[in-house]
Amino acid sequence: MVDPMRFEPGQTRARRRRVRGVLQALRPGRFYLYLTPTFAFLAVFAYYPPLLAFYRSFYDWDGVRIEKWAGIGNYVNMFHDEVLLRSVWNLAQLTVFAVAVSVVFPLLTAELICSLRNRRAQFWHRVLLVVPMVVPIMVQLLLWKFIYDPNVGLLNALLRLVRIPSQAWLHEPKLALYSMMFMAFPFVGAINVLIFLAGLNNIGQPVFDAAKIDGASVIQRFFRIDVPLVKGQIKLIVILTIIGTLNGYGTQLILTDGGPGYSTMVPALRMYQQAFRFNHLGYACAIGMALFAAIFGLTFINMKLMRTDYE
Amino acid sequence: MSRRRDNSLEMVKHVLMAIVIALVIYPYAMLIILSFKNNNQFYSRPWVITFPLHFGNYGAALEALVRYVGNSLVVTSATCFGVVLLSAFSAYVFARFEFRGKQFLFYAIISLMMIPGVLGLVPRFVIVKRFGLLNTYWALILPYIAAGQVMGIFLLRTFFESIPKDLFDAAKIDGAGDFRSFSSVAVPLCKPTMATVAIINVQFAWNDLIWPLVVISDDKLKPLTIGLLSFQSQFATYSMTRWGPLFAGYVVASIPLVVLFMIASRAFVEGLTTGALKA
Repeated sequence: MVDPMRFEPGQTRARRRRVRGVLQALRPGRFYLYLTPTFAFLAVFAYYPPLLAFYRSFYDWDGVRIEKWAGIGNYVNMFHDEVLLRSVWNLAQLTVFAVAVSVVFPLLTAELICSLRNRRAQFWHRVLLVVPMVVPIMVQLLLWKFIYDPNVGLLNALLRLVRIPSQAWLHEPKLALYSMMFMAFPFVGAINVLIFLAGLNNIGQPVFDAAKIDGASVIQRFFRIDVPLVKGQIKLIVILTIIGTLNGYGTQLILTDGGPGYSTMVPALRMYQQAFRFNHLGYACAIGMALFAAIFGLTFINMKLMRTDYE
Repeated sequence: MSRRRDNSLEMVKHVLMAIVIALVIYPYAMLIILSFKNNNQFYSRPWVITFPLHFGNYGAALEALVRYVGNSLVVTSATCFGVVLLSAFSAYVFARFEFRGKQFLFYAIISLMMIPGVLGLVPRFVIVKRFGLLNTYWALILPYIAAGQVMGIFLLRTFFESIPKDLFDAAKIDGAGDFRSFSSVAVPLCKPTMATVAIINVQFAWNDLIWPLVVISDDKLKPLTIGLLSFQSQFATYSMTRWGPLFAGYVVASIPLVVLFMIASRAFVEGLTTGALKA
């Protein structure tokens, strides 16, 4: 190949001008060249995988040898998969609970912080709430494993102080799912509190003052002014929580592996196990597609239902 | 309302807030207290600080964890570097130049935020396996860079667009090419936003749990998240659990992020809130 940038001594002026002309014409093209690395990464690890998942969800596929067209077989199988159906019910309970607590508690906490007169105290409460975010998630999970430990766990030790008998928490089929819900205790995730604080600070003192002059009680002000005005933030947190809950299964994988029995199984974990323990990769892809559809649908409904006109 | 009642109300609020904070912080305080105990102290008086403090627990934990911490440092810094570099440059191209299909390409990137991670997991594993990257650092770094860019480009583009065009024009007149005006004008101005992008990705790469579990099985290459699982099974066996070193290990695993938080708490908090919008 001839390097167009190198001019041989024998080159004529006309040729030189022609080469420069071509380069000039290509100049806007250089932007695509600049973006190539980004799109190369995205093509391999971001665009191709979901497409492949969709395609392979119609196959009986173990990722290596077995590769048989199955039509909608994988999707039909999902409705006969007792464990998966059970896991959907578990997930529904987890999601409803998570959405409720991740709106209510952070909003109340943000109100409390916002209403403090002392600016310094406001600042420090915010900083202290962020502390758990700095602790690796794995450490948090293992710490909760210890808190729930039936023999030496913190929770049972506390209960013994008030003479309540010890429980097996994560090992007890009836309690395991609820134990998992309460792992977020006291439910004041820093991110959500910060989002609500930003929202409340946006409302502005004049509105609060006006409410006070009109004689609104604190409760009235909360429901009539604050809640409607942070509706945008509520919507955001509801969507984020739904996506997070449907997508996440690390907690289940590490603490209970879906058990005891299938009492803490969730669809994403079912997908993981089908793929990496039983080599049913095609079926796993189908479950992935279903989860994608569910997340998409719920996000869409949420956008429609909680319309915010004043944004 | 009398001044006095106002003050007592303020007191009540402070007390309530203190209770909330105590509940949030308590398990971690407990973790630190327990990490200095030997098993006798752990079983007899778990609730209070007991003397002597067993600093040796930290030695044992550090010895067992140092390799995993090293792996995590390599993966996290490589990810961070890759994401910040790539997304800053691409965001600069999107913000600075006009070319056909620009809007389309940009939305093609942003729309990836709508795809949940769980959908791509299985195919991504198959791809990495085909490339022969299982049990290498690359199996973690490359997908992390791909994923991190999306948010990075989104944040940085908004920032670059707020830089006055005159600055770039001046650079051009002074003879700076595309790359020179990127490195000498754009990058120095957007350092805070780049720090935010970096923190989001440190947080992500340091904490990710499921992907390493899928692609790394060689104990020598495990990052801290799943290394902690091996660590835990090493110190908590059926016959006897060595509680002190176990908890010391949990503390050790938290230290790097705590240090980062102390150095860059502002960028950290910003990173958390913007990272939340990543969906």
